[in-house]
Amino acid sequence: MNRLLQLGLLLTLVATVHAQVQHDFWPGRERVIPHVSGDEMWSGTYKNWKDSEAVKKSMAAGMMSRDINFKDFRWLEKSFDGELKVDMGREVFHRKSSNGRSCATCHGENGEKLKGWYATQPRFSAKANRVIVAATQISICAKEHLSEDWPENTRNNSLLDMYLAYLSDGRDVDIDVTSGPMKEAYEKGRDLFFKRTGHFHFACASCHTGVTTQSYLRGQRPSTFFGDAAHYPIYHFPYRLPGDDVEDIFTLQHQIKSCQMLSRMLPGVEGSRTLTAIEVFLKASANGYKMSIPTQEYNMSTGYLLRDGL
Amino acid sequence: MRQFAKPLLAVAAICTAAAAQAQTAGSISGGDEMLDRIRAKWQPGGAEMIPQDVLTMFPCHDEELPCGKIPPPPVERVTFDGPLQGDAKRGEAIATNVRYGNCIACHILPGHEGGTIGPSLSEYSKRGMPLEYTYQRIWDVRAFNPYAFMPVYGPNRVLTDQEIRDVMVFIGTGGK
Ligand code: HEC
Ligand code: HEC
Ligand code: HEC
Repeated sequence: MNRLLQLGLLLTLVATVHAQVQHDFWPGRERVIPHVSGDEMWSGTYKNWKDSEAVKKSMAAGMMSRDINFKDFRWLEKSFDGELKVDMGREVFHRKSSNGRSCATCHGENGEKLKGWYATQPRFSAKANRVIVAATQISICAKEHLSEDWPENTRNNSLLDMYLAYLSDGRDVDIDVTSGPMKEAYEKGRDLFFKRTGHFHFACASCHTGVTTQSYLRGQRPSTFFGDAAHYPIYHFPYRLPGDDVEDIFTLQHQIKSCQMLSRMLPGVEGSRTLTAIEVFLKASANGYKMSIPTQEYNMSTGYLLRDGL
Repeated sequence: MRQFAKPLLAVAAICTAAAAQAQTAGSISGGDEMLDRIRAKWQPGGAEMIPQDVLTMFPCHDEELPCGKIPPPPVERVTFDGPLQGDAKRGEAIATNVRYGNCIACHILPGHEGGTIGPSLSEYSKRGMPLEYTYQRIWDVRAFNPYAFMPVYGPNRVLTDQEIRDVMVFIGTGGK
């Protein structure tokens, strides 16, 4: 009893000194680099999908889509349903609010002044005094300049997100995480991506690295985390997460939350520091990869079924 | 003693998370605090997704929340108290339901196509694997391989002792 008490005090002391909890991490954090070519060390398939020429060649050679890291249908093919969402986003962008202004009033007809902007997001915002995702910037402007309440997980916000991303279609993702708050957010996001959490005690990396990415998770196809962020937001078969009023657009924030739910992890709040950090990590892992907007969720395309013979 | 044991365990878990290897009897059929708290809020296998207030009991991503600082569940080494008794039909339902055991996400099961992330269990009965081994594998796979990609069914009270036994009967553990 006495011994136990002493031990307890000692442990308490140690615990207070290192107030930090030792989390469980999926292995491999140290092998991550903030560029899409980093995938060569993970799936080893990067050369098969590094640009559209490579994807086309791989397909012509009869490669299975898992050897192309599923980039064939998730990234190469544009989505017709997605185009409709872009049109709706364009409409919201030009729609006048009660004060007679629209987004276009300040950012140009057809978003002239925001071309290429999305490829550099997330970024540090001096105004918000933190790193923010595109959806948070949209929400800030909507509130401040249009008196509209369009937080990150609302329909108009996601339509605008889709439209602004479309204005960067074809640009290379280019976010700088080498210093300051962006470096901090990148490292935080990377650690969270590898941290084991939730009821199953999984990490994002449990599904998005290693054998799982070469395998089929009951018909679903998780890919490595490199490059995917370059085609977000995506058109998604209508599917609503509880509490949201968006169902057919998945922003990256939305996808992260959806994966948390799928794997019994506590879902985060879109636009929060935590989900923003994870997005910084994912976006940086797409650095140097060309944006492709709009594309759609893979389930919508059945071409791969024929090729994989499944 | 009892009063000290809990905070002590919590602190010990924080300090030695990776090294901690708790021993349990592996019996969580009732009177288990964590299990009772979970099952009071949620019954697996139904249409409901697991609610948020159950998920806050486990480590989470958001470090601004208390769950962001919860240490990982210590590895649990269990012993198997025989004989194996269970209901194969119930085991099948548990193993194939996404909101229950969901073994099918990763394993091919007797009579069911499934995922290929884990080894096929369709012929598991023929391999005559020991009960002790199979029980530990399902209870806490980390005892064999810290990075095996399988839920920690026992430590996080995903399944009860009896539910694990039902699944074991279904896959035909110990031969037929
Ligand atoms: C009254 C003018 C005004 C209106 C209307 C307006 N904004 Fe802005 N917007 C600004 C100003 C000023 C900034 C720079 C300060 C800041 O970051 O908020 C900005 C910044 C932005 C940026 C970041 C640009 C950059 O270079 O970093 C985006 C994207 C943006 N706004 C989108 C929108 C959208 C979408 C709408 C409509 C919902 C909108 N804005 C409405 C004035 C406006
Ligand atoms: C249980 C396995 C699993 C876990 C854990 C998991 N995911 Fe996923 N993830 C998937 C699957 C399967 C897909 C394929 C798309 C789908 O089914 O919606 C996917 C898709 C994605 C995509 C889109 C990829 C693409 O090609 O469009 C991103 C980004 C993503 N996940 C991020 C995460 C993050 C961040 C986490 C951790 C919070 C996470 N995932 C945890 C299984 C998982
Ligand atoms: C997320 C994927 C996943 C889920 C869900 C899962 N398993 Fe596994 N399982 C695995 C993997 C991976 C292995 C191999 C572990 C290793 O490499 O050490 C495994 C191994 C096993 C083994 C040992 C097989 C052998 O040949 O020795 C058994 C038995 C088993 N699992 C049973 C189950 C049961 C029963 C369930 C459901 C209650 C289940 N698993 C759910 C992935 C999973």
